[in-house]
Amino acid sequence: MSNQDIQLLAHLMRRAGFGATREELAERSRDGYEATVSRLLDTSNPVSMSEHLIRRFHPDESSMLLGSSGIDAWLYRMTTTNAPLLEKMGLFWHGIFATGYAKVINAKPLSDQIRMFKRYAMGSFRTLLLELSKDPAMIIWLDNQQNHKGAINENFGRELLELFSMGVGNFTENDVKECARAFTGWTIGNREYMELRSSRDSDWPYGRISWHFEYRPEDHDDGEKEFLGQTGNFNGEDIVDIICRQPATARFISRHLYHFFVADEPPVPQWPYQPPRDPEAIETLSQSYFDSNYDIRSMLRTLFNSDFFKSQSCWHEKVKSPAELVTGVLRLTEDFERPRYETVAKRLRMEFMGQRLSNPPSVEGYDGGLTWIDTGALVERMNFASEELGNTMTPGSQALIRRLAADNGGTVTPERLVDVCLDHLGALSVQEETRSRLVEYAAEGGDIQMDGHTLGEKARQSVAGVVQLIAATPEFQRA
Amino acid sequence: MSASNLQEQTQFLKYSRTVGMTTMRGRGFYYPVDSAMARDGRIYVVNRSSERAPADTVRVTMLNMDGEYFGVFGAGGDGDGEFLWPSGIALDGDGRVYVSDEHLHRITVFTASGDFVFSWGAHGSGEGELDSPSGLAFDLDDNILVSDARNHRVQRFTKNGVFLSAFGGAGSGEGELDMPWGLTTNADGDVFVADWGNDRVQRFSSKGRFISQYGGSGRGDGQFLKPASVAVDTKGYVYVADWGNERVQVLDADGRFMQQLRGEATHSKWAEDFLGINVEEADARARANLEPDIEFFNDDPHEQSSHIEKLFWGPSSVILDPQGRLYVTETHRHRLQVYQRVD
Amino acid sequence: MASAKSDRSLVVLQLSGGNDALNTVVPYGNGLYYDWRPDVRIEQDKVLKLDDQLGFNPSMAPIKELWDEGNVAVINGVGYPSPNRSHFRSMDIWHTAEPDGIGDSGWLGRTIRELDPKAENPLIGVNFGRGLPRALSCKGVSVASVGDLETYGLLPDIKEQNARDLALKAFSQIYGSAMAHDTISEFIGQTGIDALRGADILRTAPRKYSSSVEYADTPIAQSMKSIAQVMTADLGTRIYYAQNGSFDTHAAELETHAKLWSDTSNALGDFMDDMKEHDMEDDVLILVFSEFGRRIRDNSAGTDHGSGGVSFAIGGSVNGGLYGEYPSLEERDHLEGDLHFNTDFRSIYSTIAERWLGADPVSVANGQYDQLDFIFETNGS
Repeated sequence: MSNQDIQLLAHLMRRAGFGATREELAERSRDGYEATVSRLLDTSNPVSMSEHLIRRFHPDESSMLLGSSGIDAWLYRMTTTNAPLLEKMGLFWHGIFATGYAKVINAKPLSDQIRMFKRYAMGSFRTLLLELSKDPAMIIWLDNQQNHKGAINENFGRELLELFSMGVGNFTENDVKECARAFTGWTIGNREYMELRSSRDSDWPYGRISWHFEYRPEDHDDGEKEFLGQTGNFNGEDIVDIICRQPATARFISRHLYHFFVADEPPVPQWPYQPPRDPEAIETLSQSYFDSNYDIRSMLRTLFNSDFFKSQSCWHEKVKSPAELVTGVLRLTEDFERPRYETVAKRLRMEFMGQRLSNPPSVEGYDGGLTWIDTGALVERMNFASEELGNTMTPGSQALIRRLAADNGGTVTPERLVDVCLDHLGALSVQEETRSRLVEYAAEGGDIQMDGHTLGEKARQSVAGVVQLIAATPEFQRA
Repeated sequence: MSASNLQEQTQFLKYSRTVGMTTMRGRGFYYPVDSAMARDGRIYVVNRSSERAPADTVRVTMLNMDGEYFGVFGAGGDGDGEFLWPSGIALDGDGRVYVSDEHLHRITVFTASGDFVFSWGAHGSGEGELDSPSGLAFDLDDNILVSDARNHRVQRFTKNGVFLSAFGGAGSGEGELDMPWGLTTNADGDVFVADWGNDRVQRFSSKGRFISQYGGSGRGDGQFLKPASVAVDTKGYVYVADWGNERVQVLDADGRFMQQLRGEATHSKWAEDFLGINVEEADARARANLEPDIEFFNDDPHEQSSHIEKLFWGPSSVILDPQGRLYVTETHRHRLQVYQRVD
Repeated sequence: MASAKSDRSLVVLQLSGGNDALNTVVPYGNGLYYDWRPDVRIEQDKVLKLDDQLGFNPSMAPIKELWDEGNVAVINGVGYPSPNRSHFRSMDIWHTAEPDGIGDSGWLGRTIRELDPKAENPLIGVNFGRGLPRALSCKGVSVASVGDLETYGLLPDIKEQNARDLALKAFSQIYGSAMAHDTISEFIGQTGIDALRGADILRTAPRKYSSSVEYADTPIAQSMKSIAQVMTADLGTRIYYAQNGSFDTHAAELETHAKLWSDTSNALGDFMDDMKEHDMEDDVLILVFSEFGRRIRDNSAGTDHGSGGVSFAIGGSVNGGLYGEYPSLEERDHLEGDLHFNTDFRSIYSTIAERWLGADPVSVANGQYDQLDFIFETNGS
């Protein structure tokens, strides 16, 4: 496989996954690009660190009494999964259907919601929307437990149309009201007790209780509704059906997929006023949405095999989110295979970089793109990546050192050292100036003399130094 | 679990009471993982807490089955008398308290009233070295047995930490272990080990020779999913905390299934106190249906327990008192459920 | 006093976990207090008396001294309508000043945007602690979060100084050259250079600082010392943020609360001494707050989550005294078993924004609120 092909695969893995080690790229390159896409799309048997193992060592990651509970387990899954695209889709839907601890105040329903996203992430969008409408964390997040027959609360009804499916400009205020009416009676079980406990952080007497969806027919407005030009005694399912048939929905989801996987679109509130960066791509994806009966997996297949995705013009056009950056770095270290006491410290770094999973800054999710980068966050990103990757004791670093050793029994020049390190960190391509500076920096340590197939302490430091500096480059911030 | 396999079981134990409740500090538990009982009935409960919670939430709580509270000792940290990942607790013949730490790879010893005495243990895989020590038990000679989880073996030490012997080794064959957790000894000195990763309990002679095994993977009667703890009474009945199945199973001396318990918790004395002060919570709770009839994710007992509070959730330890009462420590519900013999 | 508003700074100290207002400013003259608090109480002869009704917790001696000097405003009965007793939610409400929905910016973030609309100084706001509190977040506003001032900056894990200098030099060149490329590169490049500059500036603060005040070896005292270091280094910083906790005293409250207040008061007392030594005591205002108070009735070992709290404003320009009303302890006046608030916390924000920092109070406090008179009127602008 040519270097160009490896670079394309590396691009795919940065977007459809969390990046890949050079070995993983080499392995996948044997199958070729399309087969790799198919393998990524096959999420029938996802394997990551076992739930039991996580629960034994981190019980709170399972029953979740604290504000950040469940996120360490999420990080374990992202870092150890054999189905990275599924985890990416978990982040994707979390970004759109953004639900947060600040209002839900019970980590278990939030964690259950993410599990639900992953279960339905790549199937029918209709199923996903329906499950979303029944999701207890979402119900509380958008106040649908207060949406009663004769006294509607529009919050969920509005966001379902505005943020979750069609976008502003494709529905009227009356549609919002009718949509809300259709979702009256969709609430959570033991609403009063669960709400009261949440509003007091109560984990007494015996810890948290999971939430469940409850449909209360007596509180459901069964009357006739007019929604998006159709009339009927609609319930929530009917509304979801009608939503899914709208071309606006197809375009909205397509634009989100493009934004997440291909290149940044403007912030969602500007979508009604600013055309897509690549209208043709949105059309192609929308077509796939209808051709496949709203099947997200089919849309993803179309996307990853499209020229607009493969095009070099969109390589490195994304800024890694903190979750992607931290996961990608930890995957490169290959040192995260068992539950560790220190995991929380690593997960916290993600928060210091500005992303609290299951606690987005607003109902519109994370702003993303360049807003991830400010001085404080950038310092955290660079320091984290260079600390983790600069640790020469991790299996990932050991593999790099072995490779340097196997490559060349005697002398490794600074140029060679920089190129091998860049390649090892996922076939990373950098600006020519960046490479020159890295080489100059590596040259300060002189050539590395291999002692047989091992490295002396000084050589080890040279390797660590180059890796640390690569991890701090602007290029490393991008996906 | 279906109704049919419930019909076949012998009524051997019945529910008695619930002790304790959730509190981050002081009188209560926070992720309790193991318990031990002194001759005077004092119960020591080791609270693992979470790496993300403040250090003073890690502690040993002292109480008795009537809910009398005797204080706490220990704290989060790596200093003397502190823990980071406390796991197992056991008392020696003199009533001293031993607590294992899966992160610091050591055993810490306290007096019966909780004063630090000393600690021992070294990290590694060599003879006498530990890698995530979890379950603890004393043998007939008052030597300590340590479930050396990540070394997949059981090691025996003197009370001062001098290595005596070891058995097990990684694997799934007879006498081999996979991340063993709780363990206990019977009146003859035989050692019963919760062979967590192999979904079984193994019985070894006092010398560490394999005798027999119970269980095997599954949710059926007599099958286990990641068992965490085992207790044996004077008649040879075996009680297993079937952790992954969120239940306790009782087997007879020949390993035949007798009964399974799924949990029947009621308000403890401390829970009543809490609800007495926070009356609006008590009112809302009284109006709630705490046993909703709903579908659980993947039909998983762990999920079921997360929704239905009275059921065992994370039964990580079973111990017996001299009257044959069984105390089940529930990590995720922060309480002990007590069961007594029917006869 | 009478400094120009542009010279003034604000230190916000968050008491995390819900400080028990009743045992902080103790209504020792009210028998009901002792009825409701049979176990978790401060006896009459122990309180540091402010008047014939109220007294400070005995662990607050240094704050009592500042009170005697007239430099402490005690704001009683602070809260907001429909109080939430969840730490997370209530803290979020205090941070965003948005009790009804999920706010998307913090009140101090908005303040910083007001003070430096062009984001010219990356050090206008400095947070001591890792991770940015919501109070300081706001789109387009960059705030430095400092874990340890001595090691703050890039690549702190490269310990060897020469290696670190080389790495930073290479870093600076790489980020400088990145700016010549596309917009993403340019932005990242500029931010990297700014970060390097900000870190270089911040790290100089401890070296410039000298003081005869010896701070205790507690986290809060060390935070206050860092604040003093940055403040005296004159880097243009206006907003400082620090936290102490956990005040979540469900159990063992008397001992825990005493230790927390002893650490907090000593740190604040030392800090004000330090300010006096540097002749800056009139230029600094400290706001101390907690997300909620605790239940009126104790649970025999501690107190559970409640509402209605107490805040403090401390500084040389503070018009010392009692503000707000002390909430009634009569059962009929309780709010679901808690103290009933009478002063909206957004009044405090509004006061500080307009009268101390010269920022738009409506934007900062998310609306129009009656202001309090705890800041001396000055001619500063």
